[in-house]
Amino acid sequence: MPNLKKLKIGLVCPYGWDAPGGVQNHVRDLAEYLIEHGHSVSVLAPTANEEILPDYVVSAGKPIAIPYNGAVARVLFGPIAFSRVRQWIAQGEFDVLHLHEPAIPSISLLACWAAEGPMVGTFHAAAKRQKVIFAIGPILEPVIEKLSVRIAVSEASRLTLTEHLDTDAIVIPNGVYAERFRNGSAQEQWSGETIGFIGRFEEPRKGLSVLLEALPIVARFVPNVRVLVAGPGDTEEIYKDIHPQLRSRISFLGRLTEEDKADFLSSVSVYVAPNTGGESFGIILAEAMAAGAPVIASDIPAFVSLLGEGRYGSLFATEDSSDLAKKIIDLLRDDPARKRLSLAAQERSKFFDWDTVAEQIFSVYEMAMVGSATVRLASDSRSWGRLLGREGENS
Amino acid sequence: MKSGLVFGLTILFSLWYLTFSATRLDRLHHRVETSWANLDSLLQRRAAIALELARSQAADPASALLLTAAAYQAREARIEERSQAESGLSGALGLLQNDLSSGVDSAEQSLLRELENLTEKVRIAIAIHVDAVNSTREVRKKWIFKVFRLAGTAPLPVTYEFEHDVL
Repeated sequence: MPNLKKLKIGLVCPYGWDAPGGVQNHVRDLAEYLIEHGHSVSVLAPTANEEILPDYVVSAGKPIAIPYNGAVARVLFGPIAFSRVRQWIAQGEFDVLHLHEPAIPSISLLACWAAEGPMVGTFHAAAKRQKVIFAIGPILEPVIEKLSVRIAVSEASRLTLTEHLDTDAIVIPNGVYAERFRNGSAQEQWSGETIGFIGRFEEPRKGLSVLLEALPIVARFVPNVRVLVAGPGDTEEIYKDIHPQLRSRISFLGRLTEEDKADFLSSVSVYVAPNTGGESFGIILAEAMAAGAPVIASDIPAFVSLLGEGRYGSLFATEDSSDLAKKIIDLLRDDPARKRLSLAAQERSKFFDWDTVAEQIFSVYEMAMVGSATVRLASDSRSWGRLLGREGENS
Repeated sequence: MKSGLVFGLTILFSLWYLTFSATRLDRLHHRVETSWANLDSLLQRRAAIALELARSQAADPASALLLTAAAYQAREARIEERSQAESGLSGALGLLQNDLSSGVDSAEQSLLRELENLTEKVRIAIAIHVDAVNSTREVRKKWIFKVFRLAGTAPLPVTYEFEHDVL
């Protein structure tokens, strides 16, 4: 980043810092990138265990688990959390405040309520139209309005925002350390006619079952095919549903380290993302692309835009395992097509490399800061005076 | 007694809601002003770069004339005419950029690179400003803002219709 001015930046993460998740990863990577470039960063997040935090994270308290959007969200709210948020804002003297998911009932929303000044909000979630959001819209609207700039991580999440809250946003994708994945080296154990899958495979929306249903058809045409599944979860339940003759073709690798992940993605012949929904960006798909894996993904909106309508990867009809089988067979048998997709995907991954993404976010910070002083607590006493003054003016 | 309490609470709530709304609108106006200031300064810089390009070796006399005229128009336009004038400048710059892809020396190269970075920023700044204007106009339509004249004497913000395909 060529910017010389060093800023004090406050980031708010709405979900439990110690639980795995896309938003937490994004906030962590962004914070570390900004620190590396000389800015001073403080992250406010709910944490279950305060002892193992990096020194830039401030705990807002223990998160509460509530069901939200088809999964369990670890969020935090309540009077004690609110006073901690106010304290953090008052003491931080931030040049800019960056709130993640301010429309979720958690500390980002509280911070948005409590502060005024240069504020940027990033909306991650993509969801279908939900009536409940229309009900709480009038409450959220005046709060969300305080943000100087709104960012959506994909067209899908921008659409969610415009539909539900009637406000627009700039699209800046999630960041990936593309270089780490570009430098992954192919490992023999994962090479050959292999299909890769990474994710918490027990969650139905990750769509592993769609891939497993496609496997018998694929195996008929590509006899040596193997499916490699990486990610945490209980494998026994999954094994039970697989035809005994196919069990030898599937390996569960457990959770991979970041380096192993880069090697894994550089090794597999194709990477399949059969998600059935609930995905707003597709960070693992982006990582696979950076590693140069030819990818096949379901045609949910987030993936369609990530893959440029099919220019940077192959798309199949969501939840249609026979269509997936066809796409896998086509690609596994066509070496030039795989090579072409691999190059196109790597080229595309420059768009969401952290160097590009962080610079865009930083120029948004600069724009949010124009004409405003630093972030401070919103004071209600001032508005009383203003109202009285204005009433006097009108009469 | 009880109805008095309810009455009192209603009054209190209404007063709170009025101040809340007034603050809200005040913030929105502030957002419109700052986002405009930001956009305006970026556009001024763009016009300055355009003038520099026009004076440089890169431009032939005809495009130099066109560019200078467009840049001055953009600088002097009133706010209602601004977006049209800026679109004109975008058009003039676009013509020049197409011709200049090859065979220019390093000074012009760096001007062009700066222009490219600036265009990206202008695009974001437009989105931010348009959003601020739209939400302000939307909020000012609500009855409470009209009846209590919470907007005071502040003028209704002007929509800025920068054509995206031109940029």
